[in-house]
Amino acid sequence: MLALPAAVFACLLFLVPVMILLSEAFRMDGSWSLQGYVDFFAKPLNRTVFLRTLKLGVLVAGTAAIIGYAAAFCIVNLPARTRGGVFGLVVLPLMISPVARTYAWIVILGRTGIVNNAIVGLGLSDTPVRLLFTETAVFLGLLQLFLPLMIISLVSAMENIPRDAIPAARVLGASWVQVFFRIILPLTKEGLVVGGTLVFTGALTAYITPAILGGSKVLMLETLLYQRVNVANDFVSASVIAMILIVMSFSANLVLKRLASART
Amino acid sequence: MSDAFVRLSDLTLSYGKSVAVPDLNLDIREGELIALLGPSGCGKTTTMRAIAGLLAPTSGRIVIDGRDVTRLSANKRGIGLVFQSYALFPHLNAFENVAFGLRLQKLPQAQIRARTEAAIATVGLTGFEARKPAEMSGGQQQRVALARSLVMEPKVLLLDEPLSNLDARLRLEMRIELQRVQKATGVTMVFVTHDQAEALAMADRIVLMRDGKIVQLGTPADLYDRPETAFAAGFMGFENILRLEDGDLVSEHGRAAVGYHAQAPMLGWRPDAVSVGTGPLQGRVVASSFAGGHREYVLDTPLGPVNANAPVSLAQVGVGEQVAFDLPLASARPLFA
Amino acid sequence: MQFRNLGSWLILGATLTFLIGPFIIIIFAGASAGNSLAFPPEGLSLKWYLKVFTVESFRASFVLSMGLAIFGTLAALVLGVPAAYALNRYKLPGDEMIRTIVAAPIIVPGIIVGLALLRYLVVPLNFTVTVALFFAHTALILPYAVRVVSSSLNNLRSDMEEAAVLLGCSRVQAFFKVVLPNIRGGVLSAFILGFVTSFNQVPVSLFLSGPGVRTLPIDMLSYMEITYDPSVAALSALLAFMSVAIVFAAERLLGFSRYV
Repeated sequence: MLALPAAVFACLLFLVPVMILLSEAFRMDGSWSLQGYVDFFAKPLNRTVFLRTLKLGVLVAGTAAIIGYAAAFCIVNLPARTRGGVFGLVVLPLMISPVARTYAWIVILGRTGIVNNAIVGLGLSDTPVRLLFTETAVFLGLLQLFLPLMIISLVSAMENIPRDAIPAARVLGASWVQVFFRIILPLTKEGLVVGGTLVFTGALTAYITPAILGGSKVLMLETLLYQRVNVANDFVSASVIAMILIVMSFSANLVLKRLASART
Repeated sequence: MSDAFVRLSDLTLSYGKSVAVPDLNLDIREGELIALLGPSGCGKTTTMRAIAGLLAPTSGRIVIDGRDVTRLSANKRGIGLVFQSYALFPHLNAFENVAFGLRLQKLPQAQIRARTEAAIATVGLTGFEARKPAEMSGGQQQRVALARSLVMEPKVLLLDEPLSNLDARLRLEMRIELQRVQKATGVTMVFVTHDQAEALAMADRIVLMRDGKIVQLGTPADLYDRPETAFAAGFMGFENILRLEDGDLVSEHGRAAVGYHAQAPMLGWRPDAVSVGTGPLQGRVVASSFAGGHREYVLDTPLGPVNANAPVSLAQVGVGEQVAFDLPLASARPLFA
Repeated sequence: MQFRNLGSWLILGATLTFLIGPFIIIIFAGASAGNSLAFPPEGLSLKWYLKVFTVESFRASFVLSMGLAIFGTLAALVLGVPAAYALNRYKLPGDEMIRTIVAAPIIVPGIIVGLALLRYLVVPLNFTVTVALFFAHTALILPYAVRVVSSSLNNLRSDMEEAAVLLGCSRVQAFFKVVLPNIRGGVLSAFILGFVTSFNQVPVSLFLSGPGVRTLPIDMLSYMEITYDPSVAALSALLAFMSVAIVFAAERLLGFSRYV
């Protein structure tokens, strides 16, 4: 009874419209078919964008995991007093508008930004190098956007490692590499899965970062969707992209749930 | 019985499809302190929740003070319940917690103040009125919970495992306190517990329950001295219970010919009733511990482990040694299934 | 040991520089005395910070974003608090499904939600842009509201309400007199989280924003398409300060992070 208004609201304003949108690609010329999907993947540009999105998602999640482990390990081992502060600084960016967060990269990577000023100033190049509107720019922007999610997940996972597990393993003769693969990794698997899914899904479905830092030169699925709708009124492509994004997000989410429940 | 103040007739209680209490009949007298005793899952808490009105019976009737309350909602029954967790309202101080129910009745301010202060005094917490629950010890929180129920002058006061969250010293103190409050107010009190010592020490009568059924109902002395079933005997400290077949004592481990003849299919002995040092039976001591007035032995016997207490005046038998012992018929309690 | 400490501070320093550094840069870039976006800035002045307040479209979109964030979040709480309470306290038939439906807007990418709403609800039913944005933001915040309120309900034992009922409360009275005062922190935290999320939200609003009616982040995006002057940097810095101040105050007053 009490949950009904919320459920009805979510259904009407969210579920039903999204379902209709998703069905659009299956309904070509009044009959059900997969033609929309065939057409979509027939275009080389679409395939490039699809693979680029997947690639960037995996790269960002992977890099975030590596940096995340290092940073989380350092944070967990800090004395309690500094730890709260450092953790706060990691969380802080999440509260700030992604537009602001991404805009900073224009200042850094732009023609008159820090990096180019340094390059020209050091005489490495006579003219500014193009750094914006590259995959690298998008990668950096996404990484900065979502790295905190990975660190948070890993810190909370590492807090559950018994205090003496690592010293105990060291005393038993394990090298640091062995400690990581035999103690830390198995005990933080769940956190890695949560963080990985959040970062991967986030990178996949981010709009602002590819829009600002990639522009039309480095399209990702979200920016492609926006372009197809706005420029060409192409709702079939939009429907296909929507389905791809949802399927990818849900599969990541399912993997997360499966792995998390398999452990308990 | 015409003196029933609370009467449960043919009460069936269930959660969804699983029946927790089938067809229960119980009469509780006015002003009585009664214990619902049993292991977890025996239906004692379920029964208590049904009396409170927090659980609607599948069938049967609940009559309190001559009035059928079976379909009456919990907030109109006039019943107090002290929760195991105390369930104090964290945002209110002790005074406001106790005054909560009176304020709902929109009584005059002066009356609320007087009754609340009286209730707080009854539980010995005068001076703690301004404390929030988080600023009080477990024992103090429980007193607030008690006062909060008492102030409503309930017809029946229910207590769910009232001593389980307290340490040993507080437990003894609270046991005496509850009895004192009950005598002072004359309220009919029903408390739920899994601890037989608690029930024996506090209750006027004990209702021993198992699998939703009443196993035995009686005074503490009845239950302690005269348990009727193996289950009741086990709960009351009869640690050695054996079957009797054709004059032999039988367990799943073996049998011993003793030539006993009794009406009952089983016999039970407390450890005190087992005599060590003499007797027709033989066992090996596997554990021995000093317990002040006596020494506790665990014997490995052809009938399985036997627990026996021996006076310290008796020479100690070392672990591993063989010893003679007896399960005398004279001190055995006859038991039925 | 000394060496390991040094190493760990190097790692943390590098990570924090990567995460926080860009904001420091943007604060200075906005404080440029020159007319183009550059770093280091060409001299320092507050002129761009002041200019932000004079741009008419920024002012209008700020008001819209504020309104959406406040009223969208309130609406989400009005729907979400009872839902969270019901899901938490009662065994409902199909409660898993309700949970999934209510949580779904968080899983589906915002841009799709926005597009779907526009095409199948806003256009056919002829909603105004503001109404459409309001509904979309409410739907978006609903999952956060339910989640945060649920987690604070989890910390509140349900026998509290039973105690209130036995003292004479109706179920509704028990909710308002006992439950609500004790989950106030959680509800306020949900409000703040919802507010920040809504205020910073772009993808959902992307398609729904109409001519002349834009949320602030969308307005900033379209402003950037025209010019790279430092005003957007200044505005970004101001917004960052606002969000951080709100969250910092919430943490100090409520222990925000306990609920999120």
